[in-house]
Amino acid sequence: MDVVFIFQWLDTSMLADFAKSWAGLFAAVQTVHIASMVVLVGMILLGDLRMLNVLLTDVPANTVIQNTKKWIYLALVFIILSGIYEASAIAMKLAYNSFFFAKMAGLSMGVLFILSLRSAVYRRAPGLVYPEGSSEVLPESDTLQPWIVKLVAATSLLIWFSVAANGRWIGFS
Amino acid sequence: MLNELIFKFASWLDTFQSSTDLHESLYMYAWVETTHVLTLILFLGMLFVIDLRLLGVAFKEVKVSTIVERLDKPMMIGFVVMIISGALLFYAIPVRSAQSIWFRIKVILLIAAGINALLIRNMTRSPDMQTWDNDPVPPKRVRVGAALSIGLWTGVIGVGRSMAYDWWDCTKELPYFMYWAAGCVNEMAALEQ
Repeated sequence: MDVVFIFQWLDTSMLADFAKSWAGLFAAVQTVHIASMVVLVGMILLGDLRMLNVLLTDVPANTVIQNTKKWIYLALVFIILSGIYEASAIAMKLAYNSFFFAKMAGLSMGVLFILSLRSAVYRRAPGLVYPEGSSEVLPESDTLQPWIVKLVAATSLLIWFSVAANGRWIGFS
Repeated sequence: MLNELIFKFASWLDTFQSSTDLHESLYMYAWVETTHVLTLILFLGMLFVIDLRLLGVAFKEVKVSTIVERLDKPMMIGFVVMIISGALLFYAIPVRSAQSIWFRIKVILLIAAGINALLIRNMTRSPDMQTWDNDPVPPKRVRVGAALSIGLWTGVIGVGRSMAYDWWDCTKELPYFMYWAAGCVNEMAALEQ
């Protein structure tokens, strides 16, 4: 499907006019975009490495997941808003940039993954204290195999690594 | 005087063939920069989690010492690789980097962030810490340090990103003060004549 018309529309929008005329603001928005990415990936890393039994192994897994959740959503909102602003200033360049499309594919996949599979699997991780704050452990019959949880954690890490790396390569192509 | 020393050092680095090769390589420079960004994300990702705990806005039910100690190792791995890749990026374009006002502000912010990190480290390793280790919201001095840390590192990201822009490069027509601040020694000499 040809999506160039979306970029053409964005390129002629008021937002694009504004973003193109304020270079200093554009640089500031880029900083917000990168800082939000840092928070997003930091929080996702924490949850995934906890599920891989690499980091914070002495902290209950659901405490880690619950604490990271709101920061992940908050960072995603900032990333998407600042990303749209950035994209408007260079819309026609992005329309033909394969790294941009790779990043968007990774980002969409990552968001869907967080909202669906990742949270569903992490809710049924073995040894999870459930519900949060109680000493009750999730019954064994309701839990998933540890390898499934670890596979999801590794996939999540891979998706977000690709988003960050492709994001950087947009500037090189 | 200092500007001239920095310029001489950068010009000396620029004479190495490997510096030019790295800058002009098809993929290597991009990979070094990608490594720099990815390890920055790892380092700052861990650091921001620690800072948010110290601010009392995340992981309130987990001991401060647990977060600080457990995240220290991945944070330091990220930091070391980020510094090495950053040094290589400087080596690839030494003169322009040394004469970038953004790079100079970045170095100042890095030094300030480093001093602040040492102060926070002292606070989180002092015996007094046991009195607030379990507190959801740590004492004010710790929160101030954490807020400064987030602010300074966000500043480092901002000026680091701005190095890509040529607004205040030595090749532009700038006021004498800006030439001095950026270390444009040749342009300063031309103005003085």
